[in-house]
Amino acid sequence: MRIQVRRTGGFAGIERQAEVDTSGRADASEWHALAERALAAGRTTPPAGVPDGFSYTITVDGRTVHCADPELTEEQRALIRRVLKEGA
Amino acid sequence: MVAVSDRLVTECNGSGMTTNGGHRPVFCTIVPPHVLDRLSQAGDPLVHGPARRTLRRDAYERTQRRLTTVVGAPALTTRAAAAEPGTPQRTVYDAGHGTDLPGEKARGEGEEPGQDATVNRAYAGLGATFELFLKEFGRDSIDGSGLPLDATVHYDQDYNNAFWNGEQMVFGDGDGEIFLDFTVAVDVIGHELAHGVTQYTANLDYFGQSGALNESVSDVFGALIKQYTLGQTAEEADWLIGAGLLAPRVTGVALRSMKEPGTAYDDDVLGKDPQPATMDDYVRTGRDNGGVHINSGIPNHAFYLAATTLGGHAWERAGQIWYDVLTGGELDQDAQFTDFATLTLKAARARYGEGAELNAVTKAWERVGVRTL
Repeated sequence: MRIQVRRTGGFAGIERQAEVDTSGRADASEWHALAERALAAGRTTPPAGVPDGFSYTITVDGRTVHCADPELTEEQRALIRRVLKEGA
Repeated sequence: MVAVSDRLVTECNGSGMTTNGGHRPVFCTIVPPHVLDRLSQAGDPLVHGPARRTLRRDAYERTQRRLTTVVGAPALTTRAAAAEPGTPQRTVYDAGHGTDLPGEKARGEGEEPGQDATVNRAYAGLGATFELFLKEFGRDSIDGSGLPLDATVHYDQDYNNAFWNGEQMVFGDGDGEIFLDFTVAVDVIGHELAHGVTQYTANLDYFGQSGALNESVSDVFGALIKQYTLGQTAEEADWLIGAGLLAPRVTGVALRSMKEPGTAYDDDVLGKDPQPATMDDYVRTGRDNGGVHINSGIPNHAFYLAATTLGGHAWERAGQIWYDVLTGGELDQDAQFTDFATLTLKAARARYGEGAELNAVTKAWERVGVRTL
């Protein structure tokens, strides 16, 4: 499973993106469960967001959803944090 | 639960006008209170967020209705806790590195400073912003009617951002690697509060050129608040946004430069400051709401040029002209750069006649390549 996160906007307007490929990872099933829950709560079109808030696109094996601060689910927040931290 | 949260967001996460002319998110009120109570206990913020806000708002409105009945208080008052007109009513909350807003109350109006420097900086920054708007522009808080000023600090973990959520300011601590605590720059605090002023006045759409104008207005007033706090003239000011916010290892001086857009940073990790100074380098993009933090460099630079041409305190004449445009009622929500620029000429003429001010503003827009009508 390939999990990609792209973060845009924010006060600084600096874009960040990262990707995690879970194949061969010991914690793959944990990633899959988190990714599915994050996807399920996402939207197919970008939400309006708030001034200076971050906007996110999460793409899992070609399926893309959108979300924006501060209205993230706990799973979305956790997934975004892990991918941007551990991903390449 | 997924179906419930999807529906809740779809139906409730719109936006509309408040009774006092402001613009804030609208949340459903048709959901029965017992359902809201249950939703507000949910673990999922997408579910409990709107539910909790609705409950808070409902409680507030019920109290207002009771007050109206009992003592005949005006129904539309926003001065809920009765601050004296012309005095701020600040509350700083601590999110404790979580994401529930507003968090625990850390310092209220008139309370002595505590041990937390971040809380104290936010409190002081709210005060400085309130004072500039009141003393220089005659505006009583961000809505013009004494709206309480709320800010939450220590939001989330390693959070590299600050934002305005339609009701309050929110500040992260930064990750220490790239960004430091977002309250260290008073212009950032002013920037977020200015989003509130824009929301209650011209309410510029946060997309494309109107979004870049929305961003630029926040940078302009953020910079003015810093200059006002330091007592600086236009010549003395650094015209930087977010100076001191970048961690020591980052190659850069700030996040944006109004004096020289595109030069604030050039770093291996962050990349290079993408801001244009003139229309020749206008960036067309769908990202960042159509480049709102990128193309804001153009109106930012126009303000810098007008203010430094006029000299002296930038909030006195250039700032007054920008404020007149923002609050004058003629600036459309979907205004383009040309619309804003044209209104600054009109405002300069109305307030100062055919003089140095009109000349400085006209030249400033010419130099950044924005047409005026």
